[in-house]
Amino acid sequence: MTDERETTSYEGGGSHPLVADGPIPAPLRLHRATVPSAWVDYNGHMSESCYLLAFGDNADAFFRYIGIDEPYRAGGHSLYTVETHLHHRREAGEGELLTMTFRVLDHDQKRVHVFHEMFRGESDVLLATAEQMLVHVDSQAGRSAVIPKELAERLTAIHRAHAELAVPDVVGRPMRINRL
Amino acid sequence: MSDPPAPFSSYRTEVRAEWLDYNGHMHDASYGTVLSEANEELFAAFGLSAEYRATTGAALYTVEYHIRYLAECALGQVLSAATIVVAADARRVRLYTEILDHHRRPAATGESLYLHVDSSLGRTVAMPPDRQERVQHMVAAHARLPRPAHLGLGVGAGRGGSGDR
Repeated sequence: MTDERETTSYEGGGSHPLVADGPIPAPLRLHRATVPSAWVDYNGHMSESCYLLAFGDNADAFFRYIGIDEPYRAGGHSLYTVETHLHHRREAGEGELLTMTFRVLDHDQKRVHVFHEMFRGESDVLLATAEQMLVHVDSQAGRSAVIPKELAERLTAIHRAHAELAVPDVVGRPMRINRL
Repeated sequence: MSDPPAPFSSYRTEVRAEWLDYNGHMHDASYGTVLSEANEELFAAFGLSAEYRATTGAALYTVEYHIRYLAECALGQVLSAATIVVAADARRVRLYTEILDHHRRPAATGESLYLHVDSSLGRTVAMPPDRQERVQHMVAAHARLPRPAHLGLGVGAGRGGSGDR
């Protein structure tokens, strides 16, 4: 079953975590992808769940940037997604280049609040955004667990570097039918 | 018209091998697939599914999706869905969908907002009157259903500070 399950482009690639006192781009630009034919629907547009795959790959690139890779997960801990709020702005088509940004909005002892943007190619045309809440878990116990010190320090450094960015207007905004 | 099902709950599936992630649990994106498939059955009941898209060039486009992941799902697990049509007008439909496990416990919830778009015009248009009637009939039937407390809240709302799942 391992052949046919969902994979990310980073699996098995280990990690190259940042140096906490080095420069941290704001936002991070860790992932880009070309829309494969398997991701488009009957009318040539990228399917809804494939936006989640693309944002998932972007998150995986971030996990490896902070040091969450296969050995880290084998140690019994991981970051799990508990919430995702997608905003779809424009459509993406087969063969199109997607470039992604990633920022840390906030974090506490167990949680990381993050925001992704997906752009068309190298342009500033925004295709979609994803706001996510991630929770650090003990995978065996199936419970949330405090983020270890080394990881927390990296998150603090990234959060500090990203504090200069304006908070996107969709962050924390609830869904309403009276607003487009 | 007979009373529509409240909530709408025709969808059934089993977790497929291609939906799993590195640790053998259902991948984040696969919850999105299940929610889409479940909502597509509702659109079919409205007459707004594949045949409608093919003959009119119009379709319901997703503009927002808020997913809360509540439980892990394993290979072969039976899942169903229950959907409330929260609100709708001539061009918009807002849904609340729960993915339920075999004990009818929610494994995920999805709140979604769709716009009715004419693809050739590239803009929103009103749904045909007969479709609007079907949608509003279900809105009325679902009006008596209790609304979950987290409906209409942003990410991170309604959770304790502990982050416990």
